[in-house]
Amino acid sequence: MAAANQLITADAVEATEFMDLSRKYRVTGVPKTIVNETIEILGGLPEQDFVRAALELPDAQP
Amino acid sequence: MGLLSAQDEATLKQHLSVITTPVQLVLFTQTIGGSESGPVAKQILGELTGLNDKITLVEKSFVLDAEDRAKYRVDKAPAIVILSDDVDTRMRFYGAPTGYEFVGLVEAIIVAGTGKIELDPETMKWIQAVDKPTHIQVFSTPT
Repeated sequence: MAAANQLITADAVEATEFMDLSRKYRVTGVPKTIVNETIEILGGLPEQDFVRAALELPDAQP
Repeated sequence: MGLLSAQDEATLKQHLSVITTPVQLVLFTQTIGGSESGPVAKQILGELTGLNDKITLVEKSFVLDAEDRAKYRVDKAPAIVILSDDVDTRMRFYGAPTGYEFVGLVEAIIVAGTGKIELDPETMKWIQAVDKPTHIQVFSTPT
């Protein structure tokens, strides 16, 4: 996502190395994604679902 | 002894052969007071850069190279910043890139070195429409 838009920064964080951050974001399982400090996504999702969740886009219309 | 087996090296070499643009891996480590994962990260990146001439390792001190740290907004170490022909890709890896993170690192290097992003066109449209600074942090563990 970062490669596709200059406004996006993407960090891969090793959770056990940075325990203070893991505690801060309540990382109880991995992968856990935090977007702009507020959006939390737990687990792996299919590409479109992940991007929708990360960017807070409305769900697809049936 | 290397961390990568001869077979891993051969497979990786083939994956990385698609790279056409030089990729710089800027590694920030902290020698004094830093964790053991700094030297591990350095060894992994050293082995990776040995597999393709277009990938180079640039070592920085988390403490002494404060200007670079600020430039790339690196706030913890070890940190790997991926540059595509000296341009920041805004993709970062924090901690030693082992296990799943290693796979992610290789994929990120390929994106940086080819400019090709393997995403669905519709997803790509949504991402390109983002008009405010967005910081994504993905937490994972090596296993």
